[in-house]
Amino acid sequence: MLGDQNELNVVQSKFSSNELVVAVHTNALLLEQEGWVDNRRILALVKHEFSFALFVILSVNIPPVSFSDLTIERIIPLDECFLCDTEPIPQDYQNIIFNIYYKTLILPFKVEISTESSNFASEVITAKEVKPVEYKDCIFAWLDKYKDLDKIVMDLNEKLGDFPLTRQKNGQGQGISGNRESFLKYQLTLKEPEFTHQQEFTIFIGTWNVNGQPPTALRKWLSCDEEPPDIYAVGFQELDLRKEAFLWNETTREEEWQKAVMEAVHPNAKYRCVALVRLVGIQLVVLINSKHYQHVKNVAIDTVGTGILGKMGNKGGVSVRFELHNTSLCFVNSHLAAHVEEYERRNQDYHDINLRTNFRRHPLAIRDHDQVYWLGDLNYRITDLTTDQVKYYLSKSNLEPVLLADQLNQQRILCRVLQDYQEGDITFIPTYKYDLNSDIFDTSEKARAPAWTDRILWRGKGIYQSAYRSHMEMRISDHKPVSALFKSQISVIDQAKYRKVHEEVLKRMDKLENEFLPQVTIDSTEVTFELVKFREAQYKDIIIANTGQVLAEFEFIRKPNDTSYCKEWLRITPYIGCIKPGEKCDIRFEVNLEQPLEELYDILVLHLSGGKDMFITVSGKCQRSCFTTSISTLCRAPIPLLNLNPDQLQHAETQQSPVLYSVPRELWLLVDHLYRYGLKTKELFELNALNEDIVRIRDWLDWGSLDPISVPIHAVAEALLLFLSYTKDPIIPYHLHDACIAASSNYQSCKQIIVQKLPDLERNVFLYLCMFLQELLKHSNENGSDVKTLATLFGDILLRDPVRNSRPQANRGKASFLYHFLVNDQSCLLIVPNNK
Amino acid sequence: MSTGQYNYSYIFKYIIIGDMGVGKSCLLHQFTEKKFMADCPHTIGVEFGTRIIEVAGQKIKLQIWDTAGQERFRAVTRSYYRGAAGALMVYDITRRSTYNHLSSWLTDTRTLTNPSTVIFLIGNKCDLEAQRDVTYEEAKQFADENGLMFVEASAKTGQNVEEAFLETARKIYQSIQDGRLDLNAAESGVQHKPSQPGRNTLNNDQQQNRYNKDNCAC
Ligand SMILES: Nc1nc2c(ncn2[C@@H]2O[C@H](COP(=O)(O)OP(=O)(O)OP(=O)(O)O)[C@@H](O)[C@H]2O)c(=O)[nH]1
Ligand SMILES: [Mg+2]
Repeated sequence: MLGDQNELNVVQSKFSSNELVVAVHTNALLLEQEGWVDNRRILALVKHEFSFALFVILSVNIPPVSFSDLTIERIIPLDECFLCDTEPIPQDYQNIIFNIYYKTLILPFKVEISTESSNFASEVITAKEVKPVEYKDCIFAWLDKYKDLDKIVMDLNEKLGDFPLTRQKNGQGQGISGNRESFLKYQLTLKEPEFTHQQEFTIFIGTWNVNGQPPTALRKWLSCDEEPPDIYAVGFQELDLRKEAFLWNETTREEEWQKAVMEAVHPNAKYRCVALVRLVGIQLVVLINSKHYQHVKNVAIDTVGTGILGKMGNKGGVSVRFELHNTSLCFVNSHLAAHVEEYERRNQDYHDINLRTNFRRHPLAIRDHDQVYWLGDLNYRITDLTTDQVKYYLSKSNLEPVLLADQLNQQRILCRVLQDYQEGDITFIPTYKYDLNSDIFDTSEKARAPAWTDRILWRGKGIYQSAYRSHMEMRISDHKPVSALFKSQISVIDQAKYRKVHEEVLKRMDKLENEFLPQVTIDSTEVTFELVKFREAQYKDIIIANTGQVLAEFEFIRKPNDTSYCKEWLRITPYIGCIKPGEKCDIRFEVNLEQPLEELYDILVLHLSGGKDMFITVSGKCQRSCFTTSISTLCRAPIPLLNLNPDQLQHAETQQSPVLYSVPRELWLLVDHLYRYGLKTKELFELNALNEDIVRIRDWLDWGSLDPISVPIHAVAEALLLFLSYTKDPIIPYHLHDACIAASSNYQSCKQIIVQKLPDLERNVFLYLCMFLQELLKHSNENGSDVKTLATLFGDILLRDPVRNSRPQANRGKASFLYHFLVNDQSCLLIVPNNK
Repeated sequence: MSTGQYNYSYIFKYIIIGDMGVGKSCLLHQFTEKKFMADCPHTIGVEFGTRIIEVAGQKIKLQIWDTAGQERFRAVTRSYYRGAAGALMVYDITRRSTYNHLSSWLTDTRTLTNPSTVIFLIGNKCDLEAQRDVTYEEAKQFADENGLMFVEASAKTGQNVEEAFLETARKIYQSIQDGRLDLNAAESGVQHKPSQPGRNTLNNDQQQNRYNKDNCAC
């Protein structure tokens, strides 16, 4: 007990005399710590007058020798938000988990079962029990001073008692000792081989487009190998083809297929789920043999819809990333654009998924992982050979000429897609398209050419593929499942060696105290864009070079009054990163203009952890476009936007100038085009277009060319959606949205809003569109349109949210609001324009 | 591991402010490296320097932030004032305009730092006596009226540079001794012993991680 008393005294010396350290627990292990950082903590229960707080403290020494060893990492007030409990660890009779909960925060500590820990836990529980009459904010005012004293500790910079989940830095000088940490990290990375070794894991990857069918037994596919794999990554596409799944991302199939997978995994091992992720019909589940589960860290998922406007998520990719021991893994299941000739759209989808997949707190892109496994229905077909030729070669078991005609192989050779990935030799016949419940290639009228649509590729070091095959006996779908087996080298940390290296590095650092500040140079502090146009992304690169002697950790940080580190028209990749001494890093600034701005200007703060900040000025002039202009201006402009001189433009922008068109000319052109050429087109608003076609339509409208435009009809349809999505203000003003949704069950109330509340021009646009959609629906037996889909899509756009979100999550209220106007005749509501 | 890894007892945060080209970066460089930079590029951001000094037998680490003087960055550099224990406000004795702007720099300092922040006025480039545009006397009077400490210095010859930085530290240290500067107050700009950098703390993903695991049907 004397030893404890000593520790208590040391910890007490960190606090002032009116803050009494009631109990301490040394050597609690904070679980789920990232990487191999020291996770030992001291917990101290501290009392001030009538209130208690729990301090989580880092110490250079365990047990601590002097108060200068101690750094306060977190403070958790024991108020009504505080909870704690203990939980046993299976098969571990020496340790127990002590969980601390505070609002959304969970801190699990592993502690040894001892008198120390049980005393400590009971002190905390008692302290929590002693409730003051009520929790007033002021009784915790004594904690305020810690907020700034230890500037270095980010968490303390936040408002106490309200620990936000994201670390928000702003342009004030941060702590300086960051460079110590960077140096430590860097030295440890350098010495990684000294404390890690490679261990082989088997990974089973499966992919199957199930054509919306209900689950079947999967054992023949998932358990076809003798030995149980360590990891499963199983991807499905077209899990559910029903409208509900498509529109609302809701399905019961997720659970059903998940169950089918769990029932079919190898019987000789026990598996636990690492993550399950789904976007409409694209689902990915990653399982791991339970014995390895404790070595899985930092699991994160993301989904990217590549359907039209990124909303209709029937195509796209879903990903799971995590670290296993010291190796980072990423699994991507993608379903790329369909149709034989559309390989460029498939390439575009692939790049979109790469670009937009973002694992939030891990500033990692897919390609930044040590190992990536890419699977899915990639949809590449066989061109240059007729169906008969393909079938002939297949009947002779001669795959070679067919593989040469495979679009994926061709596009990969051209470096257009999956260029730095590897694929094993294909020795199985095409997996698409089969008559259901058979092994016979499509005998329907269309008699599609067979294709290897379903593929598995990988990139990264230490990966060896030992099998790549299809599973003919699985017959419920028009695709056959494919699987691959990998033997992959995972780097495993040897704790004892790690500790030794860690200590050596620390010793060296003590000698170098203060000498190392991170230093970088950037090749330009001015980023100037050429004329920036709507939907025409532009990028500029700058180079950061580490000219110092320590690892340079950089991050773009938020200025105090801003909400983000850059404006919404800019994307910075990477916005955070690490550069080794002597190395460089390219930073890409990408503008994508979606607002009606005349020019772009912002000063960005690039912060070096433990060092200086640099300012980067971003600027550029913008070109106007009808897509981001207000309806009012468009209806008042006498000629196309880019032909207006500044005076005419200014005039058109005032409310006083006369209305010349009852709906914008540009809108009329788009709708007219669709009306003439699109009424019989299938999936009119469901396929996304090539961006270059959208750009051509933009120029056609903005310059007011008299020539008819020749672009695919789907591009015009997407342009219409874009037009309505980006107008300066939504067609139905934000302040009416709640009223619209509230009224959505009753046509008369909906009508009243449109008639009485909507400004004249917006009403015209609204009704004009509804009439067009009704026209489209009249031809539904030719174009396959249905009122539910259109109401959902356009409801979401006409009542668009203030913040653009790319998740496929439509609002039923908005859909039902619009629904009324698609099924009722409202020609009577239309106000006949007075001059046109 | 040794316990004495930090051989100083306080950290003081300084900021250096003033119009562009007055010699802020040169002053910092002279103080930390004892060298003069003849063609020093404009600071586009906030440079950072550090040096350990001794005041009354105590080792003190100075963390010095040298800000960009260009007007267009003013809005951004304002966010660096917070938590400074000392502010070195610099003008160029050969350019009157830089002196005329002092009142605006002073207003910023007063509004953005706390009352105990020590403000030191430096008339730089005193080696260029022939081009002098601001007399010592009028600057001294300005300093006295506003309760600032003041010297004329030269980042080129090093004259009075040490003095300005050290005098500021002495004044801050005195305030601590007198109890005028509350060490525990937020924004005092003084830290009693350095702390270790924040290690990885439980974050979003780890919770998401739990969430995923818990949500799984297995
Ligand atoms: N003769 C002389 N020249 C000086 C002195 N101090 C600075 N200079 C020169 O003045 C110029 C500007 O000095 P800097 O230190 O870059 O000025 P600054 O205040 O940091 O300027 P910004 O970073 O733009 O805010 C440089 O060319 C220096 O060589 C000095 O004491 N005497
Ligand atoms: Mg400078």
